Amino acid sequence: MLDYAEPVTKLIDELKRLPGVGHKSAQRLAFYILRADRAETERLVEAINEVKEKIISCSVCNNITDVDPCRYCSNPARDRRIILVVEEPYNLVTIEKTREYKGLYHVLHGALSPIRGIGPDELKIKNLFERLRVEEVEEIILATNPNTEGEATANYLSKLLKPLGMRVTRIAMGVPVGSDLEYADEVTMHKALANRHEI
Amino acid sequence: MILTRIEASGFRNLEGFSEFGAGLNIFYGDNAQGKTNWLEAIYVLGNTKSFRTSQVRECISFGANECLLRGETLRGTVEKQLQVLVAESSKELYVNGKREAVIRYIGNLDVFVFSLEEMSVIRGEPKERRRFIDRGVVSQTPAFLNTLSRYNQVIKQKNRLLAEASKSNSPERFYNQVEAWNEQLIDLGAAIHDGRRDYVERLNLVLDENDHGRAIFGAERINLRYKSQLEGKGDIDRYSELFRERLALRLRTEVAAGHSLLGPHRDDLEILADNREVARYGSAGQQRSALLLLDLAQVSIYTSTYEESPVLLIDDIDAELDRGRIEALLSEIEGQAQTFVSTSRRAIADRYKDRASVYWVDRGRAIVDSGSGKGNIEPSESERSREHTRSAGDELEQEILSDG
Repeated sequence: MLDYAEPVTKLIDELKRLPGVGHKSAQRLAFYILRADRAETERLVEAINEVKEKIISCSVCNNITDVDPCRYCSNPARDRRIILVVEEPYNLVTIEKTREYKGLYHVLHGALSPIRGIGPDELKIKNLFERLRVEEVEEIILATNPNTEGEATANYLSKLLKPLGMRVTRIAMGVPVGSDLEYADEVTMHKALANRHEI
Repeated sequence: MILTRIEASGFRNLEGFSEFGAGLNIFYGDNAQGKTNWLEAIYVLGNTKSFRTSQVRECISFGANECLLRGETLRGTVEKQLQVLVAESSKELYVNGKREAVIRYIGNLDVFVFSLEEMSVIRGEPKERRRFIDRGVVSQTPAFLNTLSRYNQVIKQKNRLLAEASKSNSPERFYNQVEAWNEQLIDLGAAIHDGRRDYVERLNLVLDENDHGRAIFGAERINLRYKSQLEGKGDIDRYSELFRERLALRLRTEVAAGHSLLGPHRDDLEILADNREVARYGSAGQQRSALLLLDLAQVSIYTSTYEESPVLLIDDIDAELDRGRIEALLSEIEGQAQTFVSTSRRAIADRYKDRASVYWVDRGRAIVDSGSGKGNIEPSESERSREHTRSAGDELEQEILSDG
């Protein structure tokens, strides 16, 4: 016999599929939903349905959006000569929050990782090159993550981009702000020293 | 630094507490009574890991839920109370009753162990020797662990990619990707090569000082040579350039092989006694003394870096060491560092009882020896060949240091 009545078991099983949710959390969430107001659960269902219906990927930059092209790609105030490449849509949000960057974006939806079976064909690389053919781009900023996978992706892209003649840059890497030098490894320190500047 | 007292509960078969002298402390007793367990308890209290198993929770005694070690240390006039609480899935560390993160806890009691399991450094695969050097580099530069871990990640990724490429009908499609991973491999590999080579140079300086080996054991002169795989292929002093050149040259070969062929994960360390490879030409006794000399050199580097002596553990001191060498070793250490020794020979305990604190270990208790007559106990075959898991390292470090 199942531990709970079938509908409850089904709900727990579905919640368990979500990343970061184990059996206990799933059980807790299921019981929360079970006891919640009808209105509250309907809002949740509606919110889930709405993202599935309305959110699409921008045909230009692959960012998630509800209009195509997305609000960044269609904004005339943005500098169309620069494209900043990130792994995930939430990386874009982090950069946007600084309000320093006024160019366009390109979202790869991942990074190279042979172990996880992710090669160049699994990433949104092809339409980046299509954009470069149509638009006058002067600089590409590679802002993939500073881990081994992000580095490999940046190295791979720069190999392909450099022959096209535009400026290819990588975001600076080094000691994190608010941290302690003691905890930086040699390679990070090496990068931080190589990228040092006058004060 | 010295450990003045330790108390154990739920830790293997240990019972009660022990108070120690600042110099030599000897645990002796029959087999399977808990001599090595006392050494292990001291090691765990200091390093929060075991030298006998990679899973410190295996130290929890049968039937107990957790084990608790409490110790008191003395550095100059500073006394501290240390506490390690290990449960099935947690480890809590306390300094003077206050819970601390591992990074703040470590360093209060640094413990070095000389044990037979370490003989694999001499006799085992090259990876055992790389681990030995890497542990040394990490003790000087903790961030080196991060470099090793990133290097191993890149090797894993590259191996997977090469395996895929070797099976493909058009392997040249993968060249760009392999090169992208190689970029990182060059930076990380050069940092590893240079870090290891510098450390081996420091070890050699110590070994050369006053002809260390001859002075202690009256015999071999021990020195080391870091043997890079790229040796003889070009200017090894400009490692990253050479590595880049070799990787480019052998790209096709690597793709055809389906795994990484180049890099410091293929390097080795030569341990020479009077310029002959000790693993091949040395007797068991010479091999153990060579290892002890290396251990002592590591301790000496530690002492000169931190201007303080660590605590030393020598497990099973009579294994493969004759009387003369034991005497030489203990005289060398005497007065330099607090030392804990385990032995199953009553004769050794007797010989040093004027210079040492002696504890008779019986069913997990360490009893201060009053000189009551116990027979001369030889280690049995089962004790010699008892199964030990690999030394040092928690799970993460274990994996990182063992290379790809």
